[in-house]
Amino acid sequence: MKSKRPSALHTINRRLFLRAGTATLALPALEAFSAPASETATARNFISIGTWLGWHQNAFFPKEAGRDYLMPTTLQPLSGQRDQFTVFSGLDHRAPNGHGSWSNFLCGSRPETYSLDQQIADQISGKTRFSSFELTAGAGEVSKAMSFTKQGVGLPMIQRPSVFYKQLFISEADRTRSEYLLRSGQSSLDPVREDAMRLQKSLTGRDSDKLEEYFESFRAVEKRIGRQIETINDPVPTTSYKLPSYDPITPNLQIEAEEIMYDLMTLALETESTRVISLFLHGLGQVFSFDGEALSAGYHGLSHHGNDPVMIRDLVAIETAHMHCFAGFLKQLSEKKNTAGKSLLDDTVILLGTGMGDASRHSNANLPTLVAGGGFNHGSHIAIDAEKKDAPLLGDLYITLMQRLGLETDNFSNASHNMNQLFS
Amino acid sequence: MKLRFLTFVCSLSTLAGSWVSAEEIPAPIQKIISNSCLECHDADSEKGDVNLDSATIDWKNIQDLDIWQRALNAIDEGTMPPPDEAQPTEEERNSLFAFLDENLLEHTPIGGTLPRRLNKAEYEATIRDLVQLSKFKLPLGFPKDTEYHGFDNVGEGLVLSPPHLNAYTEVAREIADQIFPPERAAPKIQKWEAGPEDMVLSFSAATVHGDALRLVSRSVDIMRSCTWPSRIEIGDSGTYQMSVSASKFLADTGHPFEEPMLLAVYARPVSATDRSTIRSFRLLKEISVKTESPEVTTFEADLYKGETLLFHWANAEMTHAHAELSAQFEEWFKTDPRFLAAWQKAVFRAGDIRNPQTTSLRGRNGWDIVSKHWADPDLDLSEATMDSKMTKRFLQIADSNNGTFNLADALCHFYHNNGPALEFHHLTVEGPSKLVESPADKARENIRQRITGVRKEGQSQEDFAREMLKSFLPRAFRRPVSDETIASYLTIATRHWDEGHSLDEGLHLLLRNILISPRFLYRSLGPEKMDDFDLATRLSYFLAQRPPDATLRDLAERNRLSPTIPAGPNGERKEYWVLRREAERLLPTRETAPFIQSFVGQWLDTETLSGIMPDPKFRFEEDSTRLAKRETERFFLEILAKNLPMTDFIDPDFTFTSVNFAARNYGFTPRIAKAGGNKLDTKAKAEFQRIGMKRGGRYGGLLGQAAILMATANGVDTQPVIRGVWVLENILGTPPPPPPKNVPALTPDTQGATTPRELLSAHTREAACAGCHQRIDPVGYVLENYDPVGRWRTEWPVSNAKIDPSGTLPDGTEIKDAIEFKSWLVENIDLFSQCLAEKLMIYATGRVPNYAETREIEEIVKRNHETGNGFRDLLLSLIESETFRTK
Repeated sequence: MKSKRPSALHTINRRLFLRAGTATLALPALEAFSAPASETATARNFISIGTWLGWHQNAFFPKEAGRDYLMPTTLQPLSGQRDQFTVFSGLDHRAPNGHGSWSNFLCGSRPETYSLDQQIADQISGKTRFSSFELTAGAGEVSKAMSFTKQGVGLPMIQRPSVFYKQLFISEADRTRSEYLLRSGQSSLDPVREDAMRLQKSLTGRDSDKLEEYFESFRAVEKRIGRQIETINDPVPTTSYKLPSYDPITPNLQIEAEEIMYDLMTLALETESTRVISLFLHGLGQVFSFDGEALSAGYHGLSHHGNDPVMIRDLVAIETAHMHCFAGFLKQLSEKKNTAGKSLLDDTVILLGTGMGDASRHSNANLPTLVAGGGFNHGSHIAIDAEKKDAPLLGDLYITLMQRLGLETDNFSNASHNMNQLFS
Repeated sequence: MKLRFLTFVCSLSTLAGSWVSAEEIPAPIQKIISNSCLECHDADSEKGDVNLDSATIDWKNIQDLDIWQRALNAIDEGTMPPPDEAQPTEEERNSLFAFLDENLLEHTPIGGTLPRRLNKAEYEATIRDLVQLSKFKLPLGFPKDTEYHGFDNVGEGLVLSPPHLNAYTEVAREIADQIFPPERAAPKIQKWEAGPEDMVLSFSAATVHGDALRLVSRSVDIMRSCTWPSRIEIGDSGTYQMSVSASKFLADTGHPFEEPMLLAVYARPVSATDRSTIRSFRLLKEISVKTESPEVTTFEADLYKGETLLFHWANAEMTHAHAELSAQFEEWFKTDPRFLAAWQKAVFRAGDIRNPQTTSLRGRNGWDIVSKHWADPDLDLSEATMDSKMTKRFLQIADSNNGTFNLADALCHFYHNNGPALEFHHLTVEGPSKLVESPADKARENIRQRITGVRKEGQSQEDFAREMLKSFLPRAFRRPVSDETIASYLTIATRHWDEGHSLDEGLHLLLRNILISPRFLYRSLGPEKMDDFDLATRLSYFLAQRPPDATLRDLAERNRLSPTIPAGPNGERKEYWVLRREAERLLPTRETAPFIQSFVGQWLDTETLSGIMPDPKFRFEEDSTRLAKRETERFFLEILAKNLPMTDFIDPDFTFTSVNFAARNYGFTPRIAKAGGNKLDTKAKAEFQRIGMKRGGRYGGLLGQAAILMATANGVDTQPVIRGVWVLENILGTPPPPPPKNVPALTPDTQGATTPRELLSAHTREAACAGCHQRIDPVGYVLENYDPVGRWRTEWPVSNAKIDPSGTLPDGTEIKDAIEFKSWLVENIDLFSQCLAEKLMIYATGRVPNYAETREIEEIVKRNHETGNGFRDLLLSLIESETFRTK
């Protein structure tokens, strides 16, 4: 794949790039800015957003294919940004059905395996302060995961905006404590390792192999501590962004949490603190009120609408609220431009979707999917006929996204083509 | 999961390849295999991914072992060759069986558990025990444990990856912070304000009217009665000043409320679940609200980190309690027949008392309907007498589980609109004026001492730390610790002190590191032959999910855990009498015990219930789900504690639930001994209790319990294939292999064009599917008479097609329905006992039993059957087995 436009990003002054934003930033001396992952990359960040309860298909998919589609209800908030995204229908991973397989969203046909965002993070996040962030809005009592490591371990998600904020913009007091914990932790690792090795020597065969997992993790932790100590005294970006005095962590404050997370995600990309972020939008029994009117049932209850028109209307109202927040995020990213006119949006591939095709039936076929940013030629509804022989899989689209981010790969899960012909 | 297992197998087989340990199959056996198996299982067809086309078997290769063990099972069960293929003679069958049996036994030595990382529940319990943090929980985002063969405590499945060790490092730091806290920075004084718009509205608990928020119910369920500011969260535990502005809202509708309204102010952790009851929170203040104009009350109270406030009107007229609500309606109806008629019309819409509808009346919408009828001049008053059937039925509904909640949620809006209601206007919270110790702070001193011991006069820091390590490390690592290990850890503290850090900082660092040692994080670390420490650890985590207690530690230290005495008719067996006695001591006595919660939850999948939200049409709510789960757990405990026969799992003459639940879900009214011959009152009907029933009925036993029928459905519809696979895996112990790839799942059409049976008959027609589905489908269909919450039904929903649950079991037995299936199981109870015994052993030993171990378990199951077949006996014999006692 050839780079479509000459990337002016290599040469511009970062300050100009960032000045357009709302945040005032004292800039860290990061070298990553001038070094894209590879020559063919035309976008450098990857965002994935997934809803636990899916997106009601009839309100998400346009009726018409191609460029001249009528904007469906759920996508109405994006009307003004029509040429900045592409809607896909007919794509999925041929994964098993049910809530239990939800993680097929980023993992492909086999849930709970190496997820798309982590595959990307492991390759492109090189010198940023954080390899990736996993965030959630609206989480309640249940712990779930959307992102999975190479070993299939689900990554914990940050639920409190204040925690995410503190990682991005660490305060002086927090920094002193962190530095103490990091340095003391580092200095004490040797005796622990020494004793662990003594233990390993007493074991045989498979037991000793099993303990290798421990040493591997130990080395990774050591490396991570090293990396954090190296960067702890780097200038940390500061921001004038004001967090509310509370964390909107109860499920009824989901939409509010979502908006704040999007603001912080924009700041995280803008300050080049990371290149990869995933955001999970949970759905429990919370009853939302919009414009002072309470909806007819909780979010989960609505998703089992059984085709009741009132329930569907209220479900779509929630999904439209999600989309409002998302539209705001796209707007923020598009407004941050460098001198050559390239926006942060063009520099960021954004995948919005879900692992659940139809929550009312627990079906994981035909996953509602939308791609924005990344400098793609947007503006269409690409309708795939899944019945057709050789119909592309959702994984094929993911390969196209990975290639846009400079990954040299032709495989994702059960897919081994790409969709570059249909979408570039 | 599967993938990891395969990779592991591959790497082993490559290793094994270098030895070339394959053995030639004797010619006569080869001939039998060739004649009977290779038609389908040769290198070309590899039916079911099984290829038996080889002149040799490599008994050291796990893949070969697995394939030939499956072959042996198929021959043994008579499922292979399939009935429509040519059959080997009895003699051929026997010699093939003998050949495989002998070799498999020889090549599957007992033992082989991999080091087991403590899983999340074990880690939590271990920390609670070791450092006495009684409420310790891992953070929500802590990586989930991977399940392996149905359990989350199997060595093979419990990987440790960088995110895990990162998380352990983080958690260890948090634990150390709690015990050796860093100095707190001076807190910032903060002020929060909240008006009605900032408060949580939940169900019908609160409504906003201008500048006031009204509360009307005194239900103990906070989501039905309370409000709280979700945007306030205390950062520093301390004393805060609070001002609350409140007033009475009274209307002139004849509902006076002369006494003061009591506004109870509680402290609630922001992260507490909304399903909590008021009793779980700390009362800060009870405010007497006496006037109809807002009055401000100011008070001081201690609030802890992470808390917000919660408001409850303690003496409200409105309630959500069953009997009280129906009594309230009754009083009201006596004086206002129009009011009665309005409710009758709303609930019995078609005038039919057999078809009440309350779910849709929930909330404001419901009240709008009732009040419209109430105001209707043409309202039909013909049934509005206290002795009409319709009135009686209504009062019954008002006194039933969901009826109470739904009707009360609607009635709340009368009070919201007309009073009496308690009005909340404004809240300020300011502080902290001084820092206070939270209960956790107060407990700290004891905890500290338990870890470090008391520092003696004049004892150096180094000696103090050495003494601490000598007593603490063996507890943390669950076995004696060498001097070298103690020395390694001691250097962590001494070096830190040498760098100028304080005593506490050194201890903090030490604890952080002890908690990331593999000796702490893993169990089953020793050599093949387990010593008494390993045995104590295995036994304790198995039955109590915690590290060995003082008694077990003491036995292990004195090497007194595994002495034996001769047992059996001729003294041919050994009885591990101390181990047995200790096991009996640790056996659970309550259904809330971790062993029952964790084992039953994972074996029978009832742990998934909290994630299943039954379709509202089933009127099956939170409390029903909890009751259903408890039924199964209590049932398991009863069979264990009373050593009842294994057949009681399938066809017992009792269960545990409430009279209401039995009536509603199981459709029978239990005969309960009534004290003094009185009718059971409402409270007694809702009580969880032992309920006797006849054997041989639809309900009773695992297969008829709501929890299991729910766990094997999804809350909305039933899928016979899922239930079938579940029965094979968890009742019969013969799980089918995973479905072939690229087969689209058949999604049931809930709109009902075709019946599930028609849709799924495709399975048995397609040759590729038939092999497994002939086994799966019959045991799934036989449960189709139970709906997704376990109620008996005879027709499928929507299509109204009659359900046909009949089928043919793998052994050729024709069964008509679930009742016949249960009697078949009772006759073949050893199949079930073997299945349960193997599950227990996976859970206990952290490995999947190999061939020789399966045979040992079979022996135990058989012997147990001959001696009464009690479940407790079986469990204790399993603990005494070589399989249990070998690493």
